[in-house]
Amino acid sequence: MPEDLIFLMGKFEAVLPGGLRYARNHMWCRPLTPTPLPPVLGESGRGEGRYAFGFTTYAMRLMQDVYFLDWIVGDGTDVQPGQHIGHIETSKAVSDLFAPMAGTITGFNKELLDDPSTINLDNHGAGWLFEMAGDAGGLLTAAEYHKHLADNWEKTQRLIKGKINEDI
Amino acid sequence: MSRSRLTVVLSQAQGKHPARRALEESVVAALLMEPGLDVSVVPYLYDLGPDHTGRLFLESIPGDMVVLAWMYPRAAFWVLDRDGIKGRFGESRLRPPADEDGEESGEPEPPKGIGAVGVPDRWIYCLDLRDFNNHDPYVQEVRRIAEECRQRREAKAPPTLVQLGVSLAAEKPAAAPTFTPEQLLQQPGRRWYPVIDYSRCTNCMECIDFCLFGVYGVDGQDRIFVENQDSCKKGCPACSRVCPEHAIIFPDYKTPAIAGAPVGSVSGLKIDLTKLFGGADAIQIAAQERDRELVADGRQAVGLTVGIPKRQADRVQGPKDDLDKLMDSLDALEL
Repeated sequence: MPEDLIFLMGKFEAVLPGGLRYARNHMWCRPLTPTPLPPVLGESGRGEGRYAFGFTTYAMRLMQDVYFLDWIVGDGTDVQPGQHIGHIETSKAVSDLFAPMAGTITGFNKELLDDPSTINLDNHGAGWLFEMAGDAGGLLTAAEYHKHLADNWEKTQRLIKGKINEDI
Repeated sequence: MSRSRLTVVLSQAQGKHPARRALEESVVAALLMEPGLDVSVVPYLYDLGPDHTGRLFLESIPGDMVVLAWMYPRAAFWVLDRDGIKGRFGESRLRPPADEDGEESGEPEPPKGIGAVGVPDRWIYCLDLRDFNNHDPYVQEVRRIAEECRQRREAKAPPTLVQLGVSLAAEKPAAAPTFTPEQLLQQPGRRWYPVIDYSRCTNCMECIDFCLFGVYGVDGQDRIFVENQDSCKKGCPACSRVCPEHAIIFPDYKTPAIAGAPVGSVSGLKIDLTKLFGGADAIQIAAQERDRELVADGRQAVGLTVGIPKRQADRVQGPKDDLDKLMDSLDALEL
């Protein structure tokens, strides 16, 4: 099991558990047993299985307290990567939410709809967002996700401070 | 109705939200006690069709006005402009309470749009009813605006001779049509259509190329405009993602950037993280949204093959991710 990594957001240490996979849109991915983790990343067709997804600690740090979560597709919907699937509103942020990979959404965590604060309490566990069947072969390891965060950290800080307003 | 009084119009929220209704009532009650104001209430501005009494009323207002609405000021101003209710953009001093992490940004660059046309010499101030939950800040700002308008009127040169029927001493109101409260407040159906901010629009025509539902048109002066508002597919914001100047507003959309939030400046608002959580380029998201509407309409999806802004060709290619590969395969199919 690869070790957990830490990404520094200013002084905040965002933990990236080593045993998970990650999507570029700041969701973690955990295989649901008995699906093993895809052995070869970057190749489609090698990562078929069922997975749970949730927000990474990095995403949580940007969003803070979750107030409201809303999905615009139903259970059993086939989605493309990047497809608009929902919306979130928090104490600090609002955002549309998008599918992290191609596949079928097999179920949403219904308890979050009543009490989204669970996401803040346990974003890697009880705060899981949805489950999907699909090919996770294109997702990142913790190390690759860490690099993705580092590469984009400066741009992200400018976004947070409102100095960028490029493609909406 | 006279030009020397300030008209204040409150545009109600959609639905029957008790907290919103309560704020509306307390704002109106407080404003009715202020001297020199003509106060009226109409339904949700964005939903008013051309025959709605509320809109006819707004069209009949000759002088300066303040509009309080449940949307961003920029959204309200350009909705009015499209409805033929034009004026100069009045700067409001009302700022929502800044959060503790907020910081002042520098002056944003002035936008270089084609501007509104046929603008009469009067000012329209728009205030956002979501900024505060009590009536005081709004009443104070309306007082400030009333004073600003009064000073501006007095600073103007005295009127020249040929203004038939107008004397400074006694203002005779023109025979204004009467609008009963029942007619004014008749609930309109909900509408969904794009609103162009002409202070930002450069007339590049990307939107009319992109939209495949005939919403956009070109007017007699070769300017882009939203011709067939009700051809727009409910809930679809795709064209706003495609506009290079962020000049297209959907006032009811959930994310602030598309709903008309001030561009390029920090207010006390929440950050829009859509770009971070997107995992896909705005254009690609727009193309997917458009395809969804096409298919729902019984038509063929087109992916990125139709009406996509040419600037995509200049974009530096990073390593391809899954979405790029998907789009490539759609292109290869030549749908």
